[in-house]
Amino acid sequence: MRWVLLILAAAGLAVAGWMNWDRTRHPVATPIADFSAPFVFGRFAVPPENPLTEEAFALGRHLFYDPILSGNNQVSCATCHVQALAFTDGRAKSPSLSGGELDFSAMSLANLLWGQERFFWDGRATSLEEQALIPIQHPDEMGQDIDALMAELEASGTYRRMFRQAYGAVTPENTAKALATFMRMLISSESKYDKYLRGEARLTAQEEHGRKLFMAHPDTKVSLRGGNCIDCHSQFLTSGFRDALDGFSNNGLDPDDTLPDGLMAVTGNPAHKGFFKVPTLRNIAVTAPYMHDGRFETLEDVMAHYNDGIVVSDTLSPLILEADNAPEAAKGTVGLRMTPEEIQAIIAFLHTLTDEAFLTNPKFSDPFEGGS
Amino acid sequence: MRLILGLLAVAALIAGWFLLMSGQRKTTPITLTFHAHMGDEPLVYDQFVYDNPGGGGQFRVRDFRFYLSNLSLTQGEKSYAEPDSYHLLRFDNEDKTHSITLPEVPLKSVDTVQFLIGVDPAANGSIEVRGDLDPNSQMAWNWEVGYKFVVVEGALKQGDDVSPLVYHVGFSENAREVEFMLPPDVLVSDDPEVHLIVDLAKFFDGTAQIDMQALPSVKFNRADAEILADNYAIMITLAF
Repeated sequence: MRWVLLILAAAGLAVAGWMNWDRTRHPVATPIADFSAPFVFGRFAVPPENPLTEEAFALGRHLFYDPILSGNNQVSCATCHVQALAFTDGRAKSPSLSGGELDFSAMSLANLLWGQERFFWDGRATSLEEQALIPIQHPDEMGQDIDALMAELEASGTYRRMFRQAYGAVTPENTAKALATFMRMLISSESKYDKYLRGEARLTAQEEHGRKLFMAHPDTKVSLRGGNCIDCHSQFLTSGFRDALDGFSNNGLDPDDTLPDGLMAVTGNPAHKGFFKVPTLRNIAVTAPYMHDGRFETLEDVMAHYNDGIVVSDTLSPLILEADNAPEAAKGTVGLRMTPEEIQAIIAFLHTLTDEAFLTNPKFSDPFEGGS
Repeated sequence: MRLILGLLAVAALIAGWFLLMSGQRKTTPITLTFHAHMGDEPLVYDQFVYDNPGGGGQFRVRDFRFYLSNLSLTQGEKSYAEPDSYHLLRFDNEDKTHSITLPEVPLKSVDTVQFLIGVDPAANGSIEVRGDLDPNSQMAWNWEVGYKFVVVEGALKQGDDVSPLVYHVGFSENAREVEFMLPPDVLVSDDPEVHLIVDLAKFFDGTAQIDMQALPSVKFNRADAEILADNYAIMITLAF
């Protein structure tokens, strides 16, 4: 009997010791194992100090959907980034906490591992970790004091456990890392276009016509017609380019006297005035309205802009200014001058970029509603 | 005793080997630094400071970049070809330079440097990511053609009239091979750097002189592209 008691006591000590050790040790998070990316998306880089792990993703997903992140506990990231709308909010500009509206339209969050590694329309964040904390603390977006947020998270046993398992302590840095991990895993690669690229689906004749136009810069000298999309939107990712600042452009929305600063506000270079981030066109059919200020309500409006509504300014892309499908000189308008059939073909192709599996993937959904 | 003598002999052999080897270089580090110029001066971006070589008006450059590929180095009969050798040279930095460093060229020295301006036909027809080749980059083009090899973009100003300049030169037949003999003393230092001038003026005024008003853009017209390829074939020279 004494022996049994001794053994039980020893076992109890061991369990207590293990629990203590488990609470204090450096967390051993589980690498995301089944993570794969389409070959055609090309290279990507995950910061070595923030590897993709299941625990970080689970924590990031909870944080993303939790209004605790805002000062008034009513606004979460998901308020303006709705999964069914490819993580946009369907508004030209999102509402501001003070009652007005924000400066820019909410950006879609998809395939952020690829393409331009600067975030926000004006590129002011150079990593997703840096980006993640900015809206939380912005007085008009989520209006949260970061120290107050840490105290709120620390008071929750669930969050303490999730932070411990993913990173260790509840800190602003780890909050940013978790949100960045969730955003990095928002991968859209099951659209009809992806299936076409993998040889699993055929495009209709109209979609294929649109694809060809998307990929071509027009050249009247050799009778090549084109929609010129590829000059800014890479052919497989359909996002802006990754190298340096290649993923920013002035696409002819405003004249010089009202041209917003855009990227120039970040770089200080006057050659960047009016440059905005070239967004991914993945799921573009569900992310209306369009442009950094949401000025165009439909894809038809966007195509009309590029077809004959280009506004000339000093930093306008010469590729846009020069791209014209008509051989004779234009009279008073600047644009692609395509036929209505060609415009409809490009719009049909853009619809092949809609990825229903992405828009409804339960892994990306609100963990506080039912499943987790 | 015999064992100790034997060990000493082996030690002496090893020491001797290292002494011999240290005096003899088996590999050569080399850095190729390309300096973007317009004529004799470093290239200036975004300012109307250059004269249209074949006509009226001034032009500015907003972008200049090109692919340099299949870099190979030769010493006498021996040569070394850099694997996956696809470099995108761009000069939008403070020094207007671009450097390629090969830390360990497996040659005792280098007397000849060879490369292509452009991309070889096999890589040009592939969407595989190799070196700086990236089918999701700005250099990707129309896949019936391949990559853009050389990109120059800007604007021409005539009076108050500003018009776009777009020169995208590709097509496999327009890759141009370039070869330089290095002077014998250039690689004697421990960290040898070879300087080359990339003169953008030659792109417009080399074998042929371009009037930007008459030829404001070159894209898919093969005859126009060949004219510019013959010009860029001579735009790189050794600097001393």
